[in-house]
Amino acid sequence: MRLFSRRVHELSGAYALDALDDAERDRFERHLRRCSACAEDVRQMTSTATALAMAVAAEPPPGLKQRVLAAAAATPQLPPLPSAAARRRRGRHVTRSAWFPRLALGVAAVGVAAAVALAVVTVSTQNRLNTVQAQNQAIAAVLAAPDAQIATGTSSTGGTATVVLSYAQQKMIFTSSGLPRLPNAKVYELWLLSTGSAVPAGLLPQASDGKTAPVLASGLTSADKVGVTVEPAGGTSSPTTTPILVMTLPD
Amino acid sequence: MPAPRPDRSSPPRDDADLERLLALVARGDQDAFEALYDKLSGPAYGLVRKVLRDPAQSEEVTQEVMLEVWRTASRFDPARGTATTWALTIAHRRAVDRVRSETATTDREQRSAPFPFPVDDVAETVEANMDAEQVRRCLDGLTEVQREAITLAYYEGHTYPQVAKKLEVALGTVKTRIRDGLMRLGNCLGIGR
Repeated sequence: MRLFSRRVHELSGAYALDALDDAERDRFERHLRRCSACAEDVRQMTSTATALAMAVAAEPPPGLKQRVLAAAAATPQLPPLPSAAARRRRGRHVTRSAWFPRLALGVAAVGVAAAVALAVVTVSTQNRLNTVQAQNQAIAAVLAAPDAQIATGTSSTGGTATVVLSYAQQKMIFTSSGLPRLPNAKVYELWLLSTGSAVPAGLLPQASDGKTAPVLASGLTSADKVGVTVEPAGGTSSPTTTPILVMTLPD
Repeated sequence: MPAPRPDRSSPPRDDADLERLLALVARGDQDAFEALYDKLSGPAYGLVRKVLRDPAQSEEVTQEVMLEVWRTASRFDPARGTATTWALTIAHRRAVDRVRSETATTDREQRSAPFPFPVDDVAETVEANMDAEQVRRCLDGLTEVQREAITLAYYEGHTYPQVAKKLEVALGTVKTRIRDGLMRLGNCLGIGR
């Protein structure tokens, strides 16, 4: 164990220079969480790497600034995490994506959905908090998936929907905004659609502020579309009305 | 052996400024983002270009990097390093990912052939840059293997096994040379514990 630790420890320099392959980087990062001496080494060596970077600073092309600013204006941002302590408690997915760009890439694309997801954390009772945290972890895992993709659609009755999906995890997160409020005896039901088949994927929770909390659906394998119908409260096993929304999922 | 000088690579006031800007950016402040762009785009572009060499690709990756800074500003954690380090870590990771995703290594070798980048030309793209001058002098203070291992890994995006192969030394040797070299470089640059 000690020998193993020391060998891993020797990787701190290579880690600070991004000179590890993905597998070894993951292994080193696991080690890093338990080794405060390594963390300090890495911090220092990363600062040194920054000096190496500053030494090759160069004037960026003139048109880049306007393009970046315009793109930023149209790009949603990640919300702050609930708190550093909660982040640590809740474990790896979120913490990693906070810092490591590889994962942040997937997360970054879906800031809107994340805002909705994390807002849910404000519920007060511990039980609900635990449930929500478990769900948020599952959601964070989809958001952080390297293959995460995002799609949006518009409902025929007004309102929009956003889907984040990971084929690798076979999961999808669905959120909506501005769907018309339904009478109590009705509910919005979500479907995974493929040619000739509609698989129920969950009921949309009651919207608050016009937005529905994210619904996590599993079993995303052959479906190529997502649909929403209005169904009797409790939902049905196959759609009984014309969908108010059908979205084609990205490949 | 160059004399140690004050740490110019991360002047404290600049970092405090950047952290303040980053906090505003995290709240969606586009003016703050423009100011942040002015401070970080040069270092980010220079680094990405050093690794990728190709100007068009470097511009594209720099744009991705700056957008990632915008999107993930709320996730910056000062406990783990300065704002500059955070942003340049993103930039380096992206550049390296791009280099490694280029399927055929031979392409890269061929592409690099007309543009030789000897390991001692660190400051080439920078005019009158004191940081660059100091880094160059401190790199000169390393052993040859330390210096080459560090520059091959950081400036060319090689993994340490690739570095070992290029330098024809054992894997373990490369690991420790990189580590010892970085420690020594940090001391020379005044990046203290």
